Amino acid sequence: MNNRLRVLRAERAWSQADLASRLKVSRQTVNAIETGKYDPSLPLAFAIARLFDQSIETIFTPNGGPDA
Amino acid sequence: MFCAPSRFTWQLLGWALLSALLVVVAALLRRWDLDPGSLRWVGAVLPVLPMVGYFLTLTKWVRSLDEMQRLIQFEALLIQFGITALSVMGYGVLAETGFVPNPPFGVIWPWIWLLLFVSWSLGQAIVRRKYR
Repeated sequence: MNNRLRVLRAERAWSQADLASRLKVSRQTVNAIETGKYDPSLPLAFAIARLFDQSIETIFTPNGGPDA
Repeated sequence: MFCAPSRFTWQLLGWALLSALLVVVAALLRRWDLDPGSLRWVGAVLPVLPMVGYFLTLTKWVRSLDEMQRLIQFEALLIQFGITALSVMGYGVLAETGFVPNPPFGVIWPWIWLLLFVSWSLGQAIVRRKYR
């Protein structure tokens, strides 16, 4: 799954540690999500969407694109 | 990157050290014949009690982890289980056939503990690389 987490975080000038603390997860987890090595659970994806005030689909897209 | 030990690390270390200390004390009491025969089992069982605290702390620690960290621990424990099960079974079979020494269980169990700890650490190192 692809995501725009790094871009959204950079727009707010947050470090990975800042974002991790807001989401109540470890910095390693934020890094793994950003690099696509870990796909978050639905509750965590909702928490991310709420934090950035966007829908899940605008942050996360399937690997083959939005329609894959 | 250096990662400061959490309070759980210190608590786990404390329980393990207390257990090890009680093992040594019980062994010394036995060696010096200071424990009455009828109460010998108390000294033998006493080192096991801190391990209850150890496992309760371990449970609290795992519950404090986020979802990815829990997944890492789960996969690391699978590796630990595989290595320990295969090693103990392999050694047991070889010992039965006389290819390796067959020491009593009282001598073997600290080595099994060491194997559990080393294989868990190895498992964590392997799985963490996957998510780095």
